Amino acid sequence: MKSFDLAEPATIEEAVALLDPEDKSVRAIAGGTALMLMMKTRLFQPTRLVSLRRLNGDLRGLRVNQDGGLRIGAMTSLAQLEYSHLVASTYPVLSRALGTLSNIRIRNVATLGGHLAHGDPHMDLPPILMTLGAKVSAVSPRGRRWVDICDLFTGYYETSLIKDELITSVEIAGQPPGVYCWYEKFTARSADDWPTVGVAVRYIVDSGVIRDPRVAVSAATERPMRSAAAEAALTNAPLAPHVLSKAADAAADELEPIADLHGTASYKREMVRVHVRRALEKAAQWRR
Amino acid sequence: MEQNHRRTIRFKLNGRTAITEIATHETLLEVLRRDFSLFGGRESCGQGLCGCCTAIVDGIAVSGCLYLAAFVDGAEVTTVEGLASGGKLHSIQESFIANCGFQCGFCTPGFILMTKELLERHPQPTTDEIRHYLSGNLCRCAAYPDIVRAVKAAAGEHNR
Repeated sequence: MKSFDLAEPATIEEAVALLDPEDKSVRAIAGGTALMLMMKTRLFQPTRLVSLRRLNGDLRGLRVNQDGGLRIGAMTSLAQLEYSHLVASTYPVLSRALGTLSNIRIRNVATLGGHLAHGDPHMDLPPILMTLGAKVSAVSPRGRRWVDICDLFTGYYETSLIKDELITSVEIAGQPPGVYCWYEKFTARSADDWPTVGVAVRYIVDSGVIRDPRVAVSAATERPMRSAAAEAALTNAPLAPHVLSKAADAAADELEPIADLHGTASYKREMVRVHVRRALEKAAQWRR
Repeated sequence: MEQNHRRTIRFKLNGRTAITEIATHETLLEVLRRDFSLFGGRESCGQGLCGCCTAIVDGIAVSGCLYLAAFVDGAEVTTVEGLASGGKLHSIQESFIANCGFQCGFCTPGFILMTKELLERHPQPTTDEIRHYLSGNLCRCAAYPDIVRAVKAAAGEHNR
């Protein structure tokens, strides 16, 4: 690694002023677990890093919103989320997934904001948040805007954030009682590896019929994305094995997997089919 | 090198005040080894996967190879060298010796520091909890059964 200018501002205003909308070599750093890997391999050689570790206020803490959902500060570590009773009682699907992310030392240091801003399609929380419904607060010198989590990821390691915008907090929507949720993580190599496919599902069952289904897939594709075809196959259909299989087929046909170290494109397409079905089944089993 | 690429950091290291000058890109592990001759932490995978570089910063275990040294300015850092006190080893260290929780010893400092954090979060861990918590520490000698036994014994000691 090469040395760089390291700024440690004390306020959000100072922090965003130190970022540069035109310069890719200037970036914010939170826990830094992902950026450090890029820097060590020289994929990223910063001229300036703006550390967020001295920032407080909006970037910290966890509280319940009026709709029963949670507002989480962007500097909250993944381990803080993993050990939070509030997260466990509000979104058990998130707590279960957090225990499978990398290892505890990384979760101790990596933050929710960094996890989202990095734009790595293999991250586990984006598909879950896309099914729960969430928005991120993005602050820049021009003020704050809210970005729907489904509009955040635009490509491979690309987000819709402008280079001088910082994620300060994340608001996850409250869920109706009796909601069915599951995250199915499939690692093809070792258990602690990045996923080959990640599938998050969330739906409601009303008189035996599926309502408001959401299916999101990560890792297989260039960015985490919802499958409109799978969701259409589930909407107003009975909660039955042939319906879940049809939805899995629809997701596999609709999405365009890309090859990487974790599998070829055609293998990933089959794994999408298998794991969308499993996620839908497990959501129903776990609910009971 | 530009002046703002270097800085002096002050922190608590194993209970004592530590001051050193670093470059912004240097990792905690590099600085502990170079400036303080603390060789218990080792760079093995360099990617945060193996746990050999574990250090405790403000009470939480981190991968020293992925942690900027600049970030410990004002913090409290504990390495394996800081666990013994008054010439007496920490009970976790004693337990690893008594249960032969190692062969070559390269990964042992990392396992001991992770065990310290594990027992703070889960004072009576089950075997599954131990295996899950330590899944980010690799022992190439595969002394895992003995390590799990050492952790269980240390948990008994911990709660005495």
